[in-house]
Amino acid sequence: MNDDYFYGRQIVQPKTESTKRNVNEAFIGTMCQRCGQNDIEKLPKKHFYCKACIMLGRVSSLDNLVSLPEPNQFSGQTELTWQGQLTTQQKQVSDTLLKVLSQRRTHLVWAVTGAGKTEMLFPVIYKALNQKLRVAIISPRIDVIVELAPRIQAAFEKTDIVVLHGNQVEQYRYTQLVLATTHQMLRFYRAFDLLIVDEIDSFPFAGDKMLAYAVNKAKKVNSALIYLTATPTTTLRKQLGKTLTASYLPLRFHQHLLPELKVKLVNNWRKRLPRKVEQQIKELIQLKRQFLIFLPRVADLKPLYQKLNKIFPEIKSDYVYAADPQRQAKVQKMRDGEIQYLMTTTILERGVTFPGIDVLILGADDKVFSENALVQIAGRVGRSVTRPYGLVLAYVQHINLKVLAAQKQIMTMNRRGRAVKYKSKPDSMVIESEKL
Amino acid sequence: MICALCRTELFEVDSFLQFFGLVKTEGKELCYSCQSGFEIIGSDCCPDCGRQQVNRQKCYDCQRWQYQQKPSLHHRALYKYNDAMRSFMQQYKFTGDYMLRKIFNRQLIQLVHNTNMDLVVPIPVSQYTMRTRGFNQVTGMLEGIQLTNALQVISVKKRQQSNLNRNDRMKRKQLFDIQDSTLIIGKSILLVDDVYTTGSTLHCAAELLISCGAVSVKSVSLAR
Ligand SMILES: [Zn+2]
Ligand SMILES: [Zn+2]
Ligand SMILES: [Zn+2]
Repeated sequence: MNDDYFYGRQIVQPKTESTKRNVNEAFIGTMCQRCGQNDIEKLPKKHFYCKACIMLGRVSSLDNLVSLPEPNQFSGQTELTWQGQLTTQQKQVSDTLLKVLSQRRTHLVWAVTGAGKTEMLFPVIYKALNQKLRVAIISPRIDVIVELAPRIQAAFEKTDIVVLHGNQVEQYRYTQLVLATTHQMLRFYRAFDLLIVDEIDSFPFAGDKMLAYAVNKAKKVNSALIYLTATPTTTLRKQLGKTLTASYLPLRFHQHLLPELKVKLVNNWRKRLPRKVEQQIKELIQLKRQFLIFLPRVADLKPLYQKLNKIFPEIKSDYVYAADPQRQAKVQKMRDGEIQYLMTTTILERGVTFPGIDVLILGADDKVFSENALVQIAGRVGRSVTRPYGLVLAYVQHINLKVLAAQKQIMTMNRRGRAVKYKSKPDSMVIESEKL
Repeated sequence: MICALCRTELFEVDSFLQFFGLVKTEGKELCYSCQSGFEIIGSDCCPDCGRQQVNRQKCYDCQRWQYQQKPSLHHRALYKYNDAMRSFMQQYKFTGDYMLRKIFNRQLIQLVHNTNMDLVVPIPVSQYTMRTRGFNQVTGMLEGIQLTNALQVISVKKRQQSNLNRNDRMKRKQLFDIQDSTLIIGKSILLVDDVYTTGSTLHCAAELLISCGAVSVKSVSLAR
């Protein structure tokens, strides 16, 4: 292994293997130094290993953690090959991020779905690369990373990027720009000068102590940390203006408001398809609209698929769930317009964009749909300039607080969005945290 | 809660659980798709090596062992060494997730108890493996029963040295040695390994045990 393999990393090596590199004990007491957890399983002869981070390969008391300090061995030569233009609001956030980088601070960007947050990052990434800083963009969700990778690569064509996540086998290379799932950060140690965490609220990052530890360990002591979210968790919201500064971007890039969530009461839809739902689907089919139907459980997918196929035999559709081996292909069929509608669990709540769709949520009162999940689902609608609006219909058997809270969250964001939209002064386009 | 093998959230596949009931094995939760991947070997198998077959005749490989005048091990295995078993082994043995020893613990002990023998002897792992993996995968799965660690792996270094001293072909091929043969003299022995692949490891151990005074040697494994 070359030295650069160890730069800013923490590599597990058996104690029997000698090394000239920096060696750290894998455990202090029973606390794993890779993931920070106290969750051990015994091995024979008083040895033990960490259960919490075993998906990245085992760390045991028979191992050392080996690393070399990050030397920032980069040329600094880079080019922003993205040709687009930022809106005034995006530009304002982007300027704030440049300051965050130079001050090595932590900052949250709270941008509604469809605000174009990736584009807002380009200037700060560009600046960091130019200054020979090491940059990572990470997300708790593999889907987000997979979707992000080609866009980032297209914006920085000349920069070598390594993409790291559990479902792929790309070999680790020492690169200035790293795209990875949050888990992968456990393998880094004080590597990054700029660390960007996308969709920070999404499962499984929210509330996961191990992944918070990973982020903390992977960034340098003196570094900038940027969090991105459309739906911050309550914990995060509580920190706003206190320990955390934030930029709030309540308007989508195309300057239209978010589609609001309409709630419809129905009878037990699992028993028989409610007339209202059937009627609505019929209408969408006649209008030749593409739409998603969100369902609470994997087991709900096939029965509804069969029912609808019987009613609308000439219309092509499909269903998809997390463990579906055809997952990517089915999403692609939807994107290519080969099918008119797709039934799905919450897995498509974020990360995936279909331009001009409508959305139905059947059983929106089920516990799998959190307030933020419903807001994210609503955020799938109205993403294109040509059709910046659309339907978001939540069918429930009982009105519950969560559905109302989601409705309210969207309305609040739209109120703020309206305020931004109709104010002419550019400095009030984005609400900085002290005004929240 | 997550599946002990594939680590998918059982939360995500809980529709499966609704359908089929939560699959529980020895206090380790497996998701339905992992559980259903393992294929039990039925009674139609090779009488010598336990390989799954359509009949109970001696398989081609075992005819060759017989031709080389190796005694039959009357080997029995619980499962086919298919993709699911391979990925189990990958995680248990090579990743070193010692916790997984519990998944087949009870079934393997049952198989051992169904065999007539005096001593249960596990196939050993090398010193190097003990220092890196930290456990013997066979003894792990047999936790809870009395084992006789009669065999040791001859270190590569030692094997090379002994070749310099004596040009003994038998010795060079031998992977194991026995420190204390009084343990096994006059005993019928059941050898246990994790996987039976070519059979050469088990035949090698059996040959040594017999030459050191064991009266008979049979063998079992988790997979074949
Ligand atoms: Zn750990
Ligand atoms: Zn599983
Ligand atoms: Zn055979």
